[in-house]
Amino acid sequence: MARIELVNLEKSYGFVKAVKGLNFTIEDGEFIVFVGPSGCGKTTTLRMIAGFEDPTGGEIRIDGRVVNDLEPRDRGLGMVFQSHALFPHKNVAQNIEFGMRMKKVPAEERVRRVREVAQMVRIEHLLEKMPAQCSGGESQRVALARTLVTNPSTFLLDEPLSSLDAKLRRELRAECDRLHQALKRTFIFVTHDQEEAMTLADRIVVMRDGEIVQVGSPMEIYSNPVNRFVADFFGSPSMNLVNGDIVQENGALRFRAPPFDIVLPERFKSAAPGKGTLGIRPESVEVGNGAKGDVELPVRLVEPLGKDTLLYFEADTERPFVAVTEGFGMAHINVGERVPLSLDHRRIQLFDATGQRVEASP
Amino acid sequence: MSMTKSKSRRITTIVRYVVLSLWALMAFFPIYWIVSTSFKVDTQWFAWPPYYFPDPPTLSNYMNVWFGAEEYTQTQYAISSQKPLISLWNSTVIATISTFLSVFFGSIIAYGVSRYKILSEARMFQLLMLRMIPPIVIAAPLSLYYSAIGLLDSRTGLILVYFLTTLPYAVWMTKSFIDEVPREIEQAAEILGASRWRTIFEVVLPLIRSGLVATFLFILILTWSEYLLALILTKTDVTTLPIELSKYQGSTEGRVYGRQAALAVGITVPLMIVGLIIRKHLARGFSFGMVRR
Amino acid sequence: MAVAAYSTDDVPPKATTREISRRRAVRRFKLSLLTPLIALFAFVLIPVLMLQLYFSFHQWTVYLGSWWEADFVGFDLFQEVLTDERFGWAVVRSLTFATGSTFGCFIFGFLLAYLMYKPFRGQAFFYIIFLLPMLTVPVVVAYTAEMMLYQSGPLNDLLSRLSGFDFKPSWLSNPHLALMTVGLLEIWNWTPFSFIIMSAGLAAIPKEPIEAAQILGASKWRIFWEVQLPLLRPVILLALILRFLEAMAEFPKTWALFQGGPGSATETLPVYIFMTTWQYFQISKGAAMSYIVMLMMIVIVLGAIQLLRREKRALDKMYAQAGKPDAVA
Repeated sequence: MARIELVNLEKSYGFVKAVKGLNFTIEDGEFIVFVGPSGCGKTTTLRMIAGFEDPTGGEIRIDGRVVNDLEPRDRGLGMVFQSHALFPHKNVAQNIEFGMRMKKVPAEERVRRVREVAQMVRIEHLLEKMPAQCSGGESQRVALARTLVTNPSTFLLDEPLSSLDAKLRRELRAECDRLHQALKRTFIFVTHDQEEAMTLADRIVVMRDGEIVQVGSPMEIYSNPVNRFVADFFGSPSMNLVNGDIVQENGALRFRAPPFDIVLPERFKSAAPGKGTLGIRPESVEVGNGAKGDVELPVRLVEPLGKDTLLYFEADTERPFVAVTEGFGMAHINVGERVPLSLDHRRIQLFDATGQRVEASP
Repeated sequence: MSMTKSKSRRITTIVRYVVLSLWALMAFFPIYWIVSTSFKVDTQWFAWPPYYFPDPPTLSNYMNVWFGAEEYTQTQYAISSQKPLISLWNSTVIATISTFLSVFFGSIIAYGVSRYKILSEARMFQLLMLRMIPPIVIAAPLSLYYSAIGLLDSRTGLILVYFLTTLPYAVWMTKSFIDEVPREIEQAAEILGASRWRTIFEVVLPLIRSGLVATFLFILILTWSEYLLALILTKTDVTTLPIELSKYQGSTEGRVYGRQAALAVGITVPLMIVGLIIRKHLARGFSFGMVRR
Repeated sequence: MAVAAYSTDDVPPKATTREISRRRAVRRFKLSLLTPLIALFAFVLIPVLMLQLYFSFHQWTVYLGSWWEADFVGFDLFQEVLTDERFGWAVVRSLTFATGSTFGCFIFGFLLAYLMYKPFRGQAFFYIIFLLPMLTVPVVVAYTAEMMLYQSGPLNDLLSRLSGFDFKPSWLSNPHLALMTVGLLEIWNWTPFSFIIMSAGLAAIPKEPIEAAQILGASKWRIFWEVQLPLLRPVILLALILRFLEAMAEFPKTWALFQGGPGSATETLPVYIFMTTWQYFQISKGAAMSYIVMLMMIVIVLGAIQLLRREKRALDKMYAQAGKPDAVA
C-alpha cells in the first residue's frame, strides 16, 4: 500500500526555483511516468520523494503521513538509479543481499531470496560476478533485483534506461512492465524519453520549468495535448505545427498560413480570430488519393522506413511538413513533385496565440 | 631552415638524455655513497684518496649496528649506549599508529567535507596552517605541556602530535579520492537501509581502498622521517631512528661513518620502497586538489 | 510462477529503523564527524598556544622555580626579541635560504618535468631515480653530506679530477659557504617535489590547445610561453608556495650538519629558536620569538592561501565549464 501525495511541493536552490508548487497524487499500484526536457524538475521531484533532497516548501505524504523529515531508509521505498549505482567492490549476490543485511534478515533467508529475485529478473548466472564484469543491461537488472529484494512499497526509477542502447532499452522496458504487472506496486519512473513514457505509463505527468503541464493517460496526452509544448514533445515523428492566422470569413472560421487555407471544423467555433497554430499528426495526413486535398506541397525528402514511408514536404513552416504512408507505395515518388494532401479534420488540433489548446465545443 | 625535422629531433633527444643523465647521476651519487660506505671497512671511511668502491665489502657495520656484534678493528668505538633495534621498534609503532589515526579520522572528516560541507573551503585551507607553520614555534610550550600531563618522552605523546600535524594532509588527500566516488552509490546504500556510518564504512571507505593505502604510505613517509619534534619531545626512554642516527654523532669523537651509514641505509630503505610503491599518487598528496586527474 | 509467489508471501513493507527527525540526525552526524578534530584542538593545540602566550608575557627560565609563579613582564620580551640583532639576522638568513632553495628546486624541477613530458625510452627509470632524493630521510641527507663534503672528501676529489684544478672549497667550515651548502642540500633533497608537481601539472594540460597552436604554426617556444605556461600558473604557484613554507621550517639538515655554525653562519629562525630554548634555556624569550615568527608565518600563509584559493576557484570554474554536458532536448 502506498499512496503518495505531493502538496504544494517546492524546491529552490538560492534564487532558482527548480520545482514550483506541485500538487499531485499517485494512487497505490499506479505506474506513473514523470517526463519532460532536462531541467524541468522531474528528477528533483523524484529525489525529494526518495528523501535525498529536502523540499523548501510543501509536503510529501505517503499513505497520509508527512515524510518530509524522514530518512530515505525509513520511507519504505526502493530506487533504481540512472548509473545503476552498484557497489563495485561487492559481487552481484552481495549487492543484492545488501538491503536485507541492513534489515538484519537471517543468512539462510537472504540466500533463498537472492536466488528468488535473481530468477525473477533472469540473472542467476551472474551471482558470482563483479559488477565490472556485467554489461550495461545486466547491471541494470542487478540494480532492479537489489531493489526488488527489499520489497519496497514504491519503486522509484530515475532514468534507469537512458544509458543503454535502443535494443536493450526496449527489452528492459518490457521487464519493468512485467514486474509492475506481477508485483502490483507503485512505480514512479522518470525519463526524458517520450516513447518510454508512452509505452510504460498508466498516467503520464508532463513537466516543464518546475511545473506540471499536463497529467493524463498516454492516449489522452497523445491525442489531446493541452498546449503546443506537449503536442510537440510527444510522438515520433512529431506533430506538424503550422503557424498562421485564424480568420472569420463568410460566417466560417478559417485557418490561413499560405499555402494552407483550411476551413476549421465546427467544434472550434469558439476560437478567437488572430494568430494561432494548427497541429496535425503525420499519420492523420493522407497523401494523394486523387482528390484535390486541403493543400498541395512539393516533396523535399522521402524516407522509407520499411513498414512505413515518411514524406517531408516543403512548406512555410519551421520544420518540414511530414506525412506517414503505409508500406513502400510512396517510396518512389520524385523529390520536387507536388502532391495533394488531405488532413483528417477530426484529428486537427488548434492552439491559440499563447500556445494553449483551443477547447472543442460540443 | 636548413635543418630537417628528423635531424633537429635527434639533437633534442640527445640533449634530453644528456641533461637527464647528468641529473640522475647527481641524484643518485649521494645515495650510492652512503650505501657503499656502509659496506666499507673502517680504514676506508675517511681515506685520501677516497675509496669509491668498498674493497673488500664487509657486513660488519650492519652486524655491529643492528645486532650489536662486537668486532675488534683498529679503532674502538663507544657505541654501546645505542639501541637501534629498540628505536626501530619505537619508530615503527609511532609512525604506523599515528599514520593510521591520521588516515582513519582524516578520511572521516574528508567524507564530511565532501558530502556534508562540515568545513568550508576557507576552513579547509586554514587547516593547512597546521602543516605550513614551522613546528618549532610550538615546540617549547608543547614540551612543557607534555611534561605537565606526563606525555613527555612517551610514545603516546609523539603519536598524538604526529596525528595532529599530518591530519591536514590526510584530509586533503583522502578528500580527493572521496570526491571521485559517485554519490548515487552512497544513496543506493542509504535507501537500501544503511545508516550514515554504515555507508561510510561499508561503501565509501572500501571503495577508495587503494587511495587510503596511498595516503597511508604517503603520511608514513612524513612520520617516519620526522626529526625536530622527536628530538624535543623524547629524551631517553623513547627514541626514534632519526634521533638514534644523530646520537652517533654526539657520543663519539671519532668519525664512525661506516656504522652511521649502515644505520642510515636501514632507515631510508623502507622509506624508498614505500615511496616507489605509491609514486603515482605522490602528486595528489602534495597538490591539494590543484592538479586534476 | 515465481513472480506471483514472491509478491504474495511477503508482509507489507514498513519502516524498520527507529524514525528520528532527519534534520536533527544530520546535525548530530556532522558534529560527530568533526569530533576528532575538535578533540585534538581542545586537548593539544589550544593548551599549547595558551601556554605559549603565557610564556611570552612572563619571564621564566628553567633556573627559576615553578613556571606558574613567573613574573609578568608585559611586552618586554617582545621588545627584547625585536631589538635582538641575532634575531634580525636569523630572519634574513631564513628568508634568503627559503627563497634561494625554492627557486632552485623550482627551476630544476620544472626543467626535468619538461624534459620528461613526452614518453621516451627509459622514462620510468629516470622517474624513479629522480624521486629517490625526496625519499631520503632529511637527517640521513645531513650525515651523507658530511661524509661527502669534508675538505678532502669524495666530492672535492671528483670536482678536482673532472676540472683538472685543485678545487677544494671547505663546504662545511667556511662561514661564507655554509648556508649555501645547506641550500644546495635542500635543493638536492626537494627538487623531486617540484618535479612531481610540475610533471602532474604538465600532464593535466589538455592536449587540444597545444595541437591547435602547432597547426596554427606556433614554434615550441611560443607554445611554451603562450599556451603551456599560462595554463600551468596555478601549479607553479603551488610548487613555489609549498616549497617556500617548508624551507622556512627546515631544521633537521641545518641542525644535524651545522648546529648553527660555523660561527652563526647557518643560524636560521628554527635553529635560533631551538638554541634559545634548549641551549640557553630562555624559555620565555624563545616563546616570544616563536610568537613573532608564528604571526609572521600566519601572515605569509594567509597571503599564500588567498593566492591558492583564487587559482583553485579559477581552475574549478574552467573545469566546470569544460565538463558541462549539452542540454538534452
